[in-house]
Amino acid sequence: MRKSTIPFLPISLFVLVLVSCGSNPVKDLTPAAIENLAYKAPYFSDPKTDYVYKTNISVYGNEMSGIFVAKRINENTHRVVFTTEFGNKLLDFEISENDFKIHSIVEELDRKMLINTLVEDFRLLLRENYQIAQQFDSGDSKVLQAKDGNDFNYLFVSKTDGKLTQIRHTTKRKEKISLTFQSENNIFAEHITIQHYNIQLKIAFNYFKNQ
Amino acid sequence: MKIKTFLFAFFTLLTFAIQAQEQKMTDSETAAFRQSVNAVSKKIQSLATDFTQFKHMDFLAKDIETSGKMFFKEPDKLLWQYKKPYNYTIVFKNGKILINDEGKKSAMDVGSSKIFAKLNKLIVGSVSGNLFDDKEFTIACFKSKDFNVAKLIPKDATLKKYIKQIELSFDKQDHTVAQVRLVESAEDYTKIVFKNKVQNAKVDDSVFTN
Repeated sequence: MRKSTIPFLPISLFVLVLVSCGSNPVKDLTPAAIENLAYKAPYFSDPKTDYVYKTNISVYGNEMSGIFVAKRINENTHRVVFTTEFGNKLLDFEISENDFKIHSIVEELDRKMLINTLVEDFRLLLRENYQIAQQFDSGDSKVLQAKDGNDFNYLFVSKTDGKLTQIRHTTKRKEKISLTFQSENNIFAEHITIQHYNIQLKIAFNYFKNQ
Repeated sequence: MKIKTFLFAFFTLLTFAIQAQEQKMTDSETAAFRQSVNAVSKKIQSLATDFTQFKHMDFLAKDIETSGKMFFKEPDKLLWQYKKPYNYTIVFKNGKILINDEGKKSAMDVGSSKIFAKLNKLIVGSVSGNLFDDKEFTIACFKSKDFNVAKLIPKDATLKKYIKQIELSFDKQDHTVAQVRLVESAEDYTKIVFKNKVQNAKVDDSVFTN
């Protein structure tokens, strides 16, 4: 009896890993030939634009809202500020692909894990340049795969109008974060959602035209 | 020599220009100004006004502009209703904060966050003009062409982390607050300008709900 349980252990662990990891977003996609080795995401790239969004954050059942502001301040760096509706600054970061700097953060939010999560999210949101390693076809979208350290970003670009509609950030096996964009003109996105799958965190951005 | 004369004239003019914008009040002017503000703020039972808020950050091309209506009723009921470019209402009453964010309602206790309690007191005080507390602030008073200006520097270390200075600009005629500037840092402030102010009109308690 004891003998028979031992071989089961690695198998059940394996099954457990498979179940907890969920599905790979490109599992069922058809591989395609790479059209371009580089892709530029358009939505936060203009250094002249103040990107201002009313933002709602749900984290483990708690709701928070405020104003999210992003501005490209040089080739590689964005300034990112989150304030309350009254204008009190909650956090103020500078973020580039490999670096970040905290200008200020309120005590209540000054937690390493939270900061790392937000920096990862904002990086995904603001990043412009991607090197494409593989390409897939999902039927209505071209799916471009770019490496991100040990992880991957899958960029969903609509075949009909060329708009970037989704970025799905995954490890080798499971999806961690997805970003969904709604854009009318393919220059900036009016509505953006960041959804996490390993923690209960969702951030919704709604663009507002500054008067 | 010519350059020296020019520089002298230039700096003299510059000094005049700065003085013309804002001049520190004398002690007796300060005392008279504070007395009239206190007298007026004591008489304010309610206040209804439109407001426009400008969030300034040096790195932005434009200030972020939001606007709406504000209602205040003694002693501490306050409602800010943002109408443009989004609907967002925040009510302070009975130690609670009630929020309506585009129809999504929520409530929290002011007491749950010390800094929120302090900010709440500050906001209510800014609106009514009842902020001249020398225990809480270092206060300096100035006069400009249009306004009498009180500049308040918080003494409380926690509050000071978030707000370096509060500038209240008072209408010279009616001694009520015409605009508020909350200075967070050298590059960053929030300015709120009040318009169409109505004092002591009947404001029903039912206004203060989300």
